[in-house]
Amino acid sequence: MIDFPLNEATLIATLLLAPIISSLPVAFAWLMEPKREWTRNLPIIAVFGLFISLICSLYILFNFGKLEEAVKIPFDWLPGYNISFVFIFDYLSKIMGVLTAFIAFLIGVYGLEYMKHDYRLGWYWFFFNLFTASMLLVVYSDNLLMLLIGWEGLGLASWGLIGHWFRDDDDMSFVGNVGRKIAGINYFWSPSLGAWRAISTIRIGDMPMFFAIAAIFFFAGTLNISEIHWHELAEKLGAFGIFLILFAFLLGPFTKSAQLPFSEWLMTAMTGPTTVSALLHSATMVAAGTYIFMRLSWYVEPWNIHNAGVESIYVLVLFLGLVSAFYGASVALGCLERKVLLAASTMSSLGLMFATASASKWVGEFALMVAFWYLVTHAFAKATLFLVAGHLIHETHDRFCVGGKDLAKHLRLAFLATIIATLCLSGIPPLTAYWVKSAMDEVEHSLEHEFGLIPLMLLVLTSAIYSAFLAKFLSLNFLKGDYKLKAHGGGRLMSFAYIVMGSMLILLLAIYLIDHEFHEFVEEGFLTSSLTVGLVVLTTYLIGLAKPRLESPIGKALGDRLYLAFLNDYLVPKLGWALAKLVDYGNRAIDFFCHRAIPDSFNFASKSIRKVQSGSVERYLKISVAVILLLLVVAVALGVIV
Amino acid sequence: MITELDILKALVILTFAGILSYKNSILSLALSTLVVFLFLESNGLILMVLSVAILNLISMLAIRKNQIAGLDYALIVFMAIATAYVFFTSDIAELLVLFVVVSVPTYLIVMLDEGKLNVDPGIKYIAFMVIATVVFIIGSAVLYLGYSWQNSTIYLLGFVALLIGLALEVGVAPFHEWVPDVFSNANPISISIIASLAKFVPFIVAYKILLMTATELTSLALLIFAVISAISMFIGNIGALTAKDPARILAYSTIANMGYVLAAFSAIMAPRELVYYAIAGGLLQLFVNAFGKIGFFNAIKGGSSSLSNYLLSFSFIGLPPLMGFWSKFFIIYALVFSNYLWLAILLVLNSAISIPYYLRLVRLTEVSSKSLITNTVATVTAFVMLITLIPPVWFVELVKEVLK
Repeated sequence: MIDFPLNEATLIATLLLAPIISSLPVAFAWLMEPKREWTRNLPIIAVFGLFISLICSLYILFNFGKLEEAVKIPFDWLPGYNISFVFIFDYLSKIMGVLTAFIAFLIGVYGLEYMKHDYRLGWYWFFFNLFTASMLLVVYSDNLLMLLIGWEGLGLASWGLIGHWFRDDDDMSFVGNVGRKIAGINYFWSPSLGAWRAISTIRIGDMPMFFAIAAIFFFAGTLNISEIHWHELAEKLGAFGIFLILFAFLLGPFTKSAQLPFSEWLMTAMTGPTTVSALLHSATMVAAGTYIFMRLSWYVEPWNIHNAGVESIYVLVLFLGLVSAFYGASVALGCLERKVLLAASTMSSLGLMFATASASKWVGEFALMVAFWYLVTHAFAKATLFLVAGHLIHETHDRFCVGGKDLAKHLRLAFLATIIATLCLSGIPPLTAYWVKSAMDEVEHSLEHEFGLIPLMLLVLTSAIYSAFLAKFLSLNFLKGDYKLKAHGGGRLMSFAYIVMGSMLILLLAIYLIDHEFHEFVEEGFLTSSLTVGLVVLTTYLIGLAKPRLESPIGKALGDRLYLAFLNDYLVPKLGWALAKLVDYGNRAIDFFCHRAIPDSFNFASKSIRKVQSGSVERYLKISVAVILLLLVVAVALGVIV
Repeated sequence: MITELDILKALVILTFAGILSYKNSILSLALSTLVVFLFLESNGLILMVLSVAILNLISMLAIRKNQIAGLDYALIVFMAIATAYVFFTSDIAELLVLFVVVSVPTYLIVMLDEGKLNVDPGIKYIAFMVIATVVFIIGSAVLYLGYSWQNSTIYLLGFVALLIGLALEVGVAPFHEWVPDVFSNANPISISIIASLAKFVPFIVAYKILLMTATELTSLALLIFAVISAISMFIGNIGALTAKDPARILAYSTIANMGYVLAAFSAIMAPRELVYYAIAGGLLQLFVNAFGKIGFFNAIKGGSSSLSNYLLSFSFIGLPPLMGFWSKFFIIYALVFSNYLWLAILLVLNSAISIPYYLRLVRLTEVSSKSLITNTVATVTAFVMLITLIPPVWFVELVKEVLK
């Protein structure tokens, strides 16, 4: 290290720009007409860019002091406004950065094979890498405005990727049964529609978030999350003020992380390529919402603030998260499409993260740790499951859960990875998620004083359902589904990716058990209550495995996501049209005033003025004398008053 | 500086010119022009007044065969000398005489035509002018009385009478009824004189009398000026919007312009520096109106190029760097800083209202065959609008010098 500051700048620039620059060759080469065969090899460069980012993030993890230590690196941006580019390397961002870069890289490797024969490689790789870079920017930024840049980059890239198959010509990329209608509206969604639903929902949250950031800057004078004196800010603004600002800000995370009622876009985001779903659902995009909430809570330190506004926000997030988690798990239970099932389960997990993180208001920093490590565990498991699902779709040419023992034999590695991922994610003792979930049980249990046992009950219920549908996913795809095997070749690169991803769960398990930092997790795991919950979860898992299908109207309604799609497809357009109509009226009013009312009134006034000119001097003199007399009266009156 | 001796000399020469006109109108023209050149050495402001008079003289050549051919030149120069002299005198009797001296020749000029005498506009014009002159003179006397006695009722009565006289004389709304009829029925060339040279003296006389009799009541009374000026702007500009005859459009434009000049009066009780800007703005607006009306009426009479018409229109609208921009700018500047913000805003609004009809005017005055005299006069007036390419701080200096 010769020149430290220069190296920092280079490091950060490399971290963020390597993915984008490395994706440019394929992006530009793909613009050529006619397409050349050699351009199909260029994605390797793009994946190499992701690898460089991974190296950078690992460097950051090990070279900036101890793990708990926060290092801030500012670069001047708008010095007159006290706004700088501030990168922060602290406990959360160091780990989250590595997680993001690692998962993105592995999915990139998988994508090399999965997307080999696609018709839009330039588009795909550019947005895929932009997606990763944006997420890294969000992860490492301390400045809210800079964070917003990455945040909007995520939105844009997700739109590009979800609508990747924009021709809408392949039923395989749709969501729902093609051709199905409920109450007059289409109950299936094409890729282009999915992309539109995603970006339009996200924008609804981004706007209030933007204004909240502006308000925070106005009142706090700085945009650096770690430097804002939240305590003073809350006192200055009063309960309602701080509630309003935090609520507006959190609308961004709520929409991004698909909490109720903004969940629909996430379900139809499954119209994108499976690699996109995998990335979107593990370490980027949806995780960004919960990550921002954790980062915010980390520095707000809500456990130190006694303010009704802050407390209300945390209560709101707690119950919103729990209800979303329960809703997501139930929907996943009724769902038969591979990817949509996983999408609903992601929503459920995100709800648990929000709920656990918000419990920090009463429990303290420990709750944030639990939520964060649940995020990490979930990211690996969910990425594995998505990658397997992608391979299955490739293999079976079916979006729905089909497959039998033949398939399991044919795709041994996929079978293995699914077993590991489902077991490790559902919280069966003594596997990975069990230890985190036990700590989560404890966190929710400590809320008994405030909210009774409702949070804990909701959590246990969600966990039980969660484990059941994971088992269902395994059973329908590899054991009890109906499917005649048609052997395909290949899939080595894909298998490699999800096996590595799945084995990360084992590594994580080892870390939980060995590292002293997690001794609290382990202690909680040995409590009787935790073991009981673990046994409940195991039971539902076994039931799901044994009887994956159960025909019932409730299940159908759950599979149709409780018809929440009507909110997006029926109600929101109605509101939109109402707004458009309002604008139209405004437009017409302007037209009326500018083209009719004003000219007409001037015309009328002008004609009245000219009407005086009758040509008769008698009349003119009468008018003049009348005005003269009037003015003289005014003069005398004024004289008398003065 | 013009002395009374200079005036005497001029009057003698002009009398000879008048007598000789019965023999030969060219001799009269030569003698009248000579008088103008006698006064040429004076100050720049006077130079501008005289150039208005010279343009009037030249345009008079377009109706050489009128009833008083030859005498008309002498009358115009007579008015010009009076206008030049009014800047220098501050004797109330002399001022009132000058007011009459400029008014009376126009009674004759308004009726001139190449064929029959134009009696109809003449009667309307004279009827109003007689009332105007009487009310103005009585008003001045009463004003002076009220000032000397310190009686506020009499002072205000005189003040309002003076305003009424002035308004009737120059055609400020709501005393504007004669303007559209006279402008559209009389010969354009005679109107070009009434609309230009005859407008200076009434304003300057009124200004000087007001200044002489200023008391603490004046600031309050000037509010009436402001209201009347706003009415005049609106009636003039809105009335012009639908007028079809170009002469009528110019009539309403004159009413509006007189409103602008009257607005400058509202600032005359302000601090000294602002007063100079107000007076400079008002005077410059009078010059804009004078040159512009000469140009447009010549265009109506015998045609002119559309370039000069455009220049004149843009100047009237108030587009920088033409003269019309600076005059309004000075007036607005003085108004804004003497607590008449509302009047300044109304003035700007009125400039906007005036845009359509000035542009329409350009099209209406387009003719294919152009006479040499009218075209030359119109082109010269259009180029005069460009003298403010040098920002007219010099004009403010001229005003300061003359009014010291």
